Amino acid sequence: MKSREELLIHAAFIRQVEERIVEIYPTDLIQSPLHLSIGQESLAVGVCAHLSKQDQVFTTYRSHAYYLAKGGNVPAFFAELMGRSTGCCKGKGGSMHLADSEVNFMGTSAIVASTLPHAVGAAYANKLKGNDNLVVCVFGDGAADAGIYHESINFASLMKLPLVFVVEDNDLAVHSRKSERQAFELEIHAKSYGLSTHSLENTQDPKVVSDFMNSIYADVKSTQRPAWVRLRAFRYREHVGTGEDFDVGYRSRDEFAEWSAKDPLIGLEISEAEQARINSEIQSAIDFGISSPFPTLEDLYLDVI
Amino acid sequence: MNIPNIPEETTYASAILDCMNFAMSSNPSSVLMGQGIGDHKGIFGTTTGLAEKFGSNRVIESPIAEEMMTGFGLGTSLNGLYPIMTHIRADFSFVAMNQIVNLYAKYRYMFGGQFHPSGMIRMIVGRSWGQGAQHAQSPQSIFSHIPGIKVIMPFSAEAVLENYLYEINRADRLVISLEHRNLYDINFKVDRKKLDFENPARSRVELLGSDITIVATSIMVLEALRAATFLLERYGISAEVIDMTSTSHPDTDLIFSSVSKTGKLLVADTSWLQYGVGSEISRIICERDPSVLKAPIKVAGMENTPCPTGKTLEDMFYPSVRTLVQSALSICGEQSNDLPDGESYRDYYRKFKGPF
Repeated sequence: MKSREELLIHAAFIRQVEERIVEIYPTDLIQSPLHLSIGQESLAVGVCAHLSKQDQVFTTYRSHAYYLAKGGNVPAFFAELMGRSTGCCKGKGGSMHLADSEVNFMGTSAIVASTLPHAVGAAYANKLKGNDNLVVCVFGDGAADAGIYHESINFASLMKLPLVFVVEDNDLAVHSRKSERQAFELEIHAKSYGLSTHSLENTQDPKVVSDFMNSIYADVKSTQRPAWVRLRAFRYREHVGTGEDFDVGYRSRDEFAEWSAKDPLIGLEISEAEQARINSEIQSAIDFGISSPFPTLEDLYLDVI
Repeated sequence: MNIPNIPEETTYASAILDCMNFAMSSNPSSVLMGQGIGDHKGIFGTTTGLAEKFGSNRVIESPIAEEMMTGFGLGTSLNGLYPIMTHIRADFSFVAMNQIVNLYAKYRYMFGGQFHPSGMIRMIVGRSWGQGAQHAQSPQSIFSHIPGIKVIMPFSAEAVLENYLYEINRADRLVISLEHRNLYDINFKVDRKKLDFENPARSRVELLGSDITIVATSIMVLEALRAATFLLERYGISAEVIDMTSTSHPDTDLIFSSVSKTGKLLVADTSWLQYGVGSEISRIICERDPSVLKAPIKVAGMENTPCPTGKTLEDMFYPSVRTLVQSALSICGEQSNDLPDGESYRDYYRKFKGPF
């Protein structure tokens, strides 16, 4: 089991990866929309800390942190963002469609709520095959607007599947608040589907999140019933792109100040040796991307059907 | 290839049931799902008894949640299952469009081949007996437009056996099969020696001819064969009839060489004309060499309206053997003073008395 220090270093590594992405984005090395995880690294690290390699994770287009937290290949990550043939998806997925089957990071989607049924199906197959693998599906509170969210949770509960739904609740679907979209209260409503529900407000510390998730995973494995988990979240950057957007009207800098005051990654003390290792890992991954070839015309037609 | 015992004569529905039974018994990872999959009607007899035989955890009665169940199927296939999903009407698949088009069809490609989602989605196309606007659509063009899906339209029991057994054994891609409801109760002879399990979804010549090529889909192959008989008997016109089998992956060489030989083309499809199968075949011919055509192309299909429910309007809505003969004669420059009965479709398929 990882210590709090190790979890913090892992989260700090992910933040530094994305801060480097922010730096290089204006160079046009990465030519695609980006949905940064900055501010939410502790959720990803906490959710993945107690998962084995065989356990499977499905997420959304805001997936950089989960890809890295699940153990996804870092050079292949940068190469993918840069559209190179050495990318984890051979340059066909990019930021919004990351996957690394080696570590059972099972796929991400740019359509809100669309990976929930995949997680339900994957868990059903696990149950039918009698293996002990856990499936985790991560999505935002906006997903609960969609019918397929309800269809998926209902069926997972009905079929008694070993599966954990994780709602990253930042109260926002792009720029609109839950109060503009939902007439129900998320957790009360989820509970009505007959699964166990859990909610955590202060998610800034990855150790707190990982302890919270660990007991839920143990419960799901022993009961073979799904769980629903709400993790409060706060994204530091704009919905899409690398900038900040506290001055455009839909949220305030005060909210950010209140949340980030509890962010242990801000001002985290990292030893010189550790920082040097992080710098070197990130730089070599970026260099790998830059020096990798672009896909060819032959690659365009590969893996269609 | 692993194949089951094949009967010498079978209905279309019974051939499907044999294939479903084979899928379940030959591969413990196969699962069936759909609304009504395990009830007493068993999807018009194509899944009857399978829930009792293989258990409700492999024959999964589905909630009325087509989009979720499609994504669920994709999820099961990521972990090694082979899902076969049935929409008792093809119209219901439109509820699942997001999962089919945005996810299932792209899951292999957009992750660079890391995953090979597989599965078969059976969709039943309704016609006659008041199916109306939401029970009679035939969406081959819509799905064939999307890369990443194999779309097939078997018109006979042989075509069902060849294609389904092949796909069930292969189990490595998404196949959508459009099954025409009016084919279900028709009895077909099966020439077991003729069955081709190596390359089943190829287009094939069902009738050799020399004067005009009729390219047809699904039940329109039977209508084209009837039209060809009439044309030969009454006018001495020899029609070559090609079954497309797959609308997403037609054998373009076969179609082009037939049209090169006859110089004339009629397309007989089960759906609307605009942006349809006829348009696609016209593109194939015109991009390769339009000079092979000695006359303008004609396409027969549904009128450009929703399907009306009442019989009088419905008869005007669908192409009939009369429409096909009339179109063929027009292409061949013949006067059409002797035509088959336009309503004969109803008589020919009179075994179908609904209700569904």
